[in-house]
Amino acid sequence: MVLVLAIGDLHIPHRAPDLPAKFKSMLVPGKIQHILCTGNLCIKEVHDYLKSLSPDLHITRGEYDEDVRYPENKTLSIGQFKLGLCHGHQIVPWGDLDSLAMLQRQLDIDILVTGHTHQFKAYKHEGGVIINPGSATGAYSSMTYDVNPSFVLMDIDGLRVVVYVYELIDGEVKVDKIDFKKTATTQSAH
Amino acid sequence: MAKKGVPEWLNSSLWASSSSPPASASTTAAARLPRSPPSPNPQAPALSPIPEPRSPPCPNPQAPTRSPIPEPPPPPRPPQPPTEAPRPSVEAPPDDRSPSRLSQEEVSRQFQFLAEVVNIGELRKLASQGIPDGTGIRSIVWKLLLGYLPYDREFWMQELAKKRSQYKAFKEEFLMNPSEMARRMEESAGHKNEALETGGCGFLMRSEITHDEHPLSLGKTSVWNQFFQETEIIEQIERDVKRTHPDMQFFCGDSSLAKSNQEALRHILIIFAKLNPGIRYVQGMNEILAPLFYVFRNDPDQDNAAYAEADAFFCFVELLSGFRDNFCQKLDNSVVGIRSTISKLSELLKKHDGELWRHLEITTKVNPQFYAFRWITLLLTQEFNFVDSLHIWDALLSDPDGPQETLLRVCCAMLILVRKRLLAGDFTSNLKLLQNYPQTNINHLLYVANKLGGSSAG
Repeated sequence: MVLVLAIGDLHIPHRAPDLPAKFKSMLVPGKIQHILCTGNLCIKEVHDYLKSLSPDLHITRGEYDEDVRYPENKTLSIGQFKLGLCHGHQIVPWGDLDSLAMLQRQLDIDILVTGHTHQFKAYKHEGGVIINPGSATGAYSSMTYDVNPSFVLMDIDGLRVVVYVYELIDGEVKVDKIDFKKTATTQSAH
Repeated sequence: MAKKGVPEWLNSSLWASSSSPPASASTTAAARLPRSPPSPNPQAPALSPIPEPRSPPCPNPQAPTRSPIPEPPPPPRPPQPPTEAPRPSVEAPPDDRSPSRLSQEEVSRQFQFLAEVVNIGELRKLASQGIPDGTGIRSIVWKLLLGYLPYDREFWMQELAKKRSQYKAFKEEFLMNPSEMARRMEESAGHKNEALETGGCGFLMRSEITHDEHPLSLGKTSVWNQFFQETEIIEQIERDVKRTHPDMQFFCGDSSLAKSNQEALRHILIIFAKLNPGIRYVQGMNEILAPLFYVFRNDPDQDNAAYAEADAFFCFVELLSGFRDNFCQKLDNSVVGIRSTISKLSELLKKHDGELWRHLEITTKVNPQFYAFRWITLLLTQEFNFVDSLHIWDALLSDPDGPQETLLRVCCAMLILVRKRLLAGDFTSNLKLLQNYPQTNINHLLYVANKLGGSSAG
C-alpha cells in the first residue's frame, strides 16, 4: 500500500499565491511515500514545502521553473509499476494523447504523469495509462483561464492502482476515484 | 479446595532434597481412598507406558519404591475424595506433579495420567515450587494457571478451538491495511470495474467514493485516518519487538524462525493495542509477552505450538489484566498505580528487615523507584537470565490471588539476599548492585520468598 502524490503546475508566486487552504489542510506529512511533481513550481520555497510532505520527491522541469537543474524526464519503479514523469510542454501538440503515448512507449513505463495543460486527465491506451493531475493552485494555463485546482493521489497495492482525484469545485473538495489493474504481462525485451 | 494454609510439612526442608515426599504421600493416601478400580500402587510402574489418559486405575504412577520418607499425615488428601466421589469411576484424583525433584521421565509419565479435572489448588502449590524444564509441561501448566484452559479436561478442545478462531477473527479485523479494507468494502457493495481490465482505450471512468473514504481524509470515521493515527504506535511496537531479547536466537537474528516469531509478537501487540484504546501499547509489554510466547511456541505438542500466537495473546491479556494499572501513566500516583505498589514493597521490606530498610531508604537514600520500577512492571524478566525468569514466573503465576503478592515477596527476598553487600554500600554501589542484580540460585530465592509469605501470614 504505497501512496504516491502527483501534483504540479503550481506557478507560485507568478500566477497564484499559494495552494488552496483546503488542499493544504489535507496534505500533511507522514502519509505519503512518494511525490511526483510535474514541474512549474516555480520557486524554492515550494520545493521545500513539498519536501516536507515526503522525503522522496521527484520533479521534472517545467518551462517557468527557477531551478534549472531539474531533469526533463524521470522514471522510477514503485512496487510492480513503472512510473514516468515529464512536464509536458516538450510534447507538441500540447496535451495530445497520441504524442504522449509515444513518450510513454519511449520511456517504457506503465503510468506516465504529465502536466502543462492544467486540466485533469486520466487516459488508458494499450501501452499504459497517462495521468495529468492538473494544476494544484488553479493557475491559468497557456491555453485557458478556466482551471479548477486539482491533484492526484495514487494508492499502489500490488498490481492494482486506485487513483484518487482531488478537485476544488466551487470552494468544496470533491474526491473521485479511478481503479485500474495492470495485467501481469511478461517483460518485453527491446 | 478447602485447604486454608499450607501444611507445615509442605514447607519443610524435605523439599530441598531430591526425593519426592508428596508423591508417595498421595500414593499411599490414594491407596486409602475408596476407589473401585484396583489398587494403584502395584500397577503403577506397569501402566506407565500406556498413553491413554483415561485409564482409571492409575492416578499416581509414582513408583512406591521411592518412599523412605515417613508418611506425612493424610489431612491434605481426604478433603478431595468427597468432591470427586459423586463422579463416575473414571474420575481420578488430582494430577500429582511434584516437579523438579523427580527425574524427568517420571514427571512426563505422570503427565500422561493427567486427571480429568485438574485440581487447580494442588497445581498451584506444585507450580510454585517450580516446573521442571525438560518435560514440556510448562506450556500446559501456565495455560491452566492463567485460566486459559478450563479445569475440566473434556472441554479443552472446545475452548481452544473457540479462542483460536476468535483470534483469527481479530487478526482479520485489525491487521488489514486501508487499501484492502477499501477493496473489501467495494466488493461487498457490489461494484465491478471489469471495463478497465480489458485492453480498451479511452478515458478512464471516474467513480464516486463513499463516505469520504480517501487516503487524505481527516474524517474521524475514515479508515485511512484511523490507520495513520495508529502508525505511531505500530512503529513503536515494531521497534520494541526488534529489540526483544537480542541475545536469543529465538527472537533475534536473520533466521526465518526469528522473523516469524517477531511477526507473531508484533501481531499480538498490535491487536492488543487496538482492542485496548485506553492503554494502547507501552514499552515493556513486549518483555512480558516474550516468555509466554516462548513457552507456548516450544510446546512439544506440535498442534499447540502451531497456535502459540493465539494462545499467547489470550494469556497475555489475562496476565496483563492484573497489571494494567502499572502501565497507565495517569494512575501512577493513585492507590492502584505503580507508586503505591512500590511503597507496598517498601513496607514489606520494613516489616521483614527493618535494618536493611533503614539503611537503604534513609541512610543511603536509595529510592525504591530507582530499582523496583523495572522489577515490578516487567515481572522480573530483565533481572535474571531467561531460564531463571521462567522459573520465577512459575512461582508468580501460581499465586491464586494474582502475581502481585508473590512478586513483591520475591522482590523483598532479592533485597534480603544481598543485604550484606547493601549494608556495606553507599548510594552509588547499592544502586549499581540493584540495577544489575547478581546471579543467584533461583530455588533459594523462591524459598526465601515463600518463607516471607508464610511468616507474615496474611
